[in-house]
Amino acid sequence: MTRTTHPRRLPAVLLLALALAVLLNVAAGGGGSAGPEEFGGSTAARAAAEAPPPAATSPKAESDTAGAPGAPEAARPDPPERLRIDRVGLDAPVVPTGVDEDGAAEVPDDPARAGWYRFGPAPGAERGSAVLLGHVDSRTGELGALVALYEVRAGDEVTVERRHGTPARFEVSARRVVPKDDLPKETFARAGPHVLTLITCAPPYDPGRGGYQNNVIVTAVPVSRD
Amino acid sequence: MRNMRTLVATMAAAGTCSLALTVAPQAAAAEDDMAWVSVFHGVPGLTVDVYANGDELLPDFEPGTLTDPQEMAAGSYDIKVFAAGDDPDSDDPAIEKKIDVPAGANATVAAHLDAEGQPQLTAFVNDVSDLDAGKSRLTVRHVAAAPAVDVRAGGQPVFEGLTNPNEDTAEVDAGTVSADVVLAGTDDVAIGPADLDLKEGTTNIVYAWGSAEDENLALKVQTLDGMHSDPASVPAGGNGAAAGANSTDAWLAWSAAGAIALAGGVLVLRRRAGQQG
Repeated sequence: MTRTTHPRRLPAVLLLALALAVLLNVAAGGGGSAGPEEFGGSTAARAAAEAPPPAATSPKAESDTAGAPGAPEAARPDPPERLRIDRVGLDAPVVPTGVDEDGAAEVPDDPARAGWYRFGPAPGAERGSAVLLGHVDSRTGELGALVALYEVRAGDEVTVERRHGTPARFEVSARRVVPKDDLPKETFARAGPHVLTLITCAPPYDPGRGGYQNNVIVTAVPVSRD
Repeated sequence: MRNMRTLVATMAAAGTCSLALTVAPQAAAAEDDMAWVSVFHGVPGLTVDVYANGDELLPDFEPGTLTDPQEMAAGSYDIKVFAAGDDPDSDDPAIEKKIDVPAGANATVAAHLDAEGQPQLTAFVNDVSDLDAGKSRLTVRHVAAAPAVDVRAGGQPVFEGLTNPNEDTAEVDAGTVSADVVLAGTDDVAIGPADLDLKEGTTNIVYAWGSAEDENLALKVQTLDGMHSDPASVPAGGNGAAAGANSTDAWLAWSAAGAIALAGGVLVLRRRAGQQG
């Protein structure tokens, strides 16, 4: 009889506990367990963020006469054209992307394509984080190419084919799941050690709050070219 | 002597020559009261020696040359510009002016012609504040012996009625634009067109310099970088299909949370039962 003396307490207590568990879950990993898992605690990107800033904190200047042929010019980036992670069957064309009118990174409408954030470093650059991003699924329900990021493991080989140079090769070192409004500041780093950063969306999916609540961020470090 | 600073100026266009010397401001500045200063020579036909507080800063400085920003102590500098080779002790300077360099500023000192063609010095403070992601800053400075002008990009006026020695600034989408300078309110092209590569996160300062009368109007571009910002977010999702595709994992995860909650609930119940029991 003791258990039935408080029949109305049970749901309330459970609800409270469940809410607590959800809160803890969200606090612990931004809902990270509901979707791809994290690995690679100390990412190269984090190392990049912790690295000392470039020697000059001042703006550098370059000057030339406008339109003068042969004027000195900073090295042009080599645009990426294709992203491949063979072990998980990821093979996507890459197009340059920028910023949309809301100040967010532009993502190609076609979920079969990945975008390269063209204002940041290109894959194979000397330094900074080269960012490739893509839709995890489309508005009509097709799965995106970058959903394969949910399946990658540390050590997976990543190949980025480039317009001019030989393919840039990387190795997956870490995966993090972060709230989409709280990207780590090193994600778009322009300085520090060179890394490849792959981004798509991750659950939970809440249609009332703009859809996916998280980003999954896969970091890959350069593999020496022999 | 703490405030003496080594100033290394590199001149880009006139080949490369470097020099090192020390220049102190007239008013002593605190150790961290530094500024970044560039010098632009926009007086046609006159190679000069530039002195700051009596010390030679830039010898044989040629028209159209712009130095890289150099760190200098903030403070007041007495700038004298002599025709190259003149004796600063006995000859009269071509231009002389006291320039205040505020602490923390990024400034460009321009030697140029005024609207009537007389040489003068103007100190401009460069806007190096952060830009939104995807943006570039375009500044135009009228330092030419010429009347008011309009500046157009892609045929559309960006700045109108700009007069010597003033400037105007706008934040624009990064990219390459074809710019030209026309007499204000007309389609009479005075300079250009020239392609300006407005890189994201940079401040691009265009000097319209020279003399209309002498038909040597020209543009000089000074680019300062490092004002970029990161995109606000990466909206990379569609209709939630991938969450569905991953529903097994998600369900397991949420089930685990539920199980913990259930266990907690049972514990609470047990305790209550015990107390009553």
